Amino acid sequence: MAHTHVPTLQDTRTTLDGLGPRVFGVSLAVGVVGMLAAFGLGSAQGDNLKQFAFAYVLNFAFFLGISLGALIFLGIMYVTRASWNVVIRRLAEVMAAVTPLLALLAIPVIVLAGRVYGWMDPEIAASPAMAHKAGYLNQGAFTLRWAIYFLVWSGYSLFYWRSSVAQDKSGDLKITRRFENLSGFALMATAICLAMASFDLVMSIDPLWSSTMFGVYYFSGSFVSFFAVLTLVTMGLQNSGRLTRIVSAEHFHDYGKLMFGFTFFWGYIAYSQYMLYWYANIPEETAWYLMRSTNGWGKVGLATLFCTFALPFCGLVSRWAKRNRKVMAFWAMWIIVAQWLNLYWVIMPEYSEHAMFSPAAVALFLGIGGLWFAGVTRLAMGNSLVPTRDPRLEESLRFENA
Amino acid sequence: MSATPRHGALHALMTDFESPSQFMQACVKVRDAGFKHWDAHSPFPVHGLDDAMGIRGTRLPWIVLVGGITGFSAALLMQWWMNAVDYPYIISGKPLLGLPAAFPVIFELTVLFSAFACFFGMWGLNGMPRWHHPLLANDRFRRASQDRFYVVIEARDPKFDSEKTRAFLASLGGAVVEEVREIVEG
Repeated sequence: MAHTHVPTLQDTRTTLDGLGPRVFGVSLAVGVVGMLAAFGLGSAQGDNLKQFAFAYVLNFAFFLGISLGALIFLGIMYVTRASWNVVIRRLAEVMAAVTPLLALLAIPVIVLAGRVYGWMDPEIAASPAMAHKAGYLNQGAFTLRWAIYFLVWSGYSLFYWRSSVAQDKSGDLKITRRFENLSGFALMATAICLAMASFDLVMSIDPLWSSTMFGVYYFSGSFVSFFAVLTLVTMGLQNSGRLTRIVSAEHFHDYGKLMFGFTFFWGYIAYSQYMLYWYANIPEETAWYLMRSTNGWGKVGLATLFCTFALPFCGLVSRWAKRNRKVMAFWAMWIIVAQWLNLYWVIMPEYSEHAMFSPAAVALFLGIGGLWFAGVTRLAMGNSLVPTRDPRLEESLRFENA
Repeated sequence: MSATPRHGALHALMTDFESPSQFMQACVKVRDAGFKHWDAHSPFPVHGLDDAMGIRGTRLPWIVLVGGITGFSAALLMQWWMNAVDYPYIISGKPLLGLPAAFPVIFELTVLFSAFACFFGMWGLNGMPRWHHPLLANDRFRRASQDRFYVVIEARDPKFDSEKTRAFLASLGGAVVEEVREIVEG
């Protein structure tokens, strides 16, 4: 047959080996230094850590979103019984399985809640519009909900990761069957918790404003960021001589399609949320957008419209772009920055009416990001980077886009 | 029964294969021999056939892009002209051309024009519509939808030479080399 040779796992390296501890060490160092720098910068503001708290919520939301994107990706792959992803699925498994670490990182959000959330402000809490929300938006209920969210997310993500690693040894087909049967519930529970967490974490900063689309808005942005991170991690591993040949242009083409598709989905959701409020023009609804389109924030918003949506849309629309490593690497990095900028535009105007640059937010990007990546690396050490005995591995290795 | 079609000039020479692997090897040889007007027919999609035939990527995306840009511009111009020029009328205090309100229509027309460009562009690139094709009148070709793989070299190819091409096709290892004749109307 004229078929090209189908690669096997023997054609490449599938473990981190010596690279693991080095990447872990560097990420941990970046994380700790970033955290300390951010704390220093935040303390120097002399605003009782208010800016630090906002910057923390921003970056926590960003990296939580990536892990939840990974968790939802796994669920979708199992309910659809997809095979193309098997060769890169372990990477998504470890990105999802750091959720217990994110639970630890959520503690400062709860501790610093008083500096960020409007419902903690006695003046706002006393307003008549808040009367029926007080039973939901209070520190006890807030903390309890976070405990439930992390119980659900950690439960599912550890289940996926541990069972998949166990399958590497046993080759038990029942594990795959169990994934497929449980993933429907996992997706529903994860998605409900994700939407509610986005209300708690980001939307309730201004408790007088609400949007039923906010969960989807946060999810769509997070999902794009997840695919961008997955693309860069896969490329990084390939540059170090791991997963070469077995992850081919065909798999990158699919990353590209998902990044492109969810970039558009994000744009669609962001626009729909905006357009409905713009058209109805009801003061309590437009207040949120008014704050974000005046005093310099409008320019940031316009920048996100182009950087987060229009430019990557044009850049990734072509098949050629999705199959070109350099182009894909460029847009993956671009999307991470752009999605972060979008969250900045959503969160930071509540801290400062005038558009401002927060060095603490950048330091915390490195701080939380470094710790997150150290956690991901730690989980990836010691096991294969590929689910070696997944029944669909063979199909994934010979995968070709039609 | 309709009248038996009368056969005209030589349209193409055809050979057929029983297995996809022979078929793929034959395609590689025809490709390397430098033929331009030839085709391969298989009852099911064969992975790698595009490469074996040396088919370059389709131009369809560019046609779709033009369609999409046309739809985008048409929708924007139409709404601007209708709402801000021809019949300016303020609705619920919005600007005459309120972009947020215009985008649903822009989006729809972009999608519609892209879809039309894709569908009819595909027709154009595939030489459609046409009512008939000489191959379809060939009895031997009937198994193209069942279990045979065909390589067909058309007579209009600049490299085509009825004797040499016949010998070349015979050397590919197919069952028979068969003439495909044009159909004469009437």
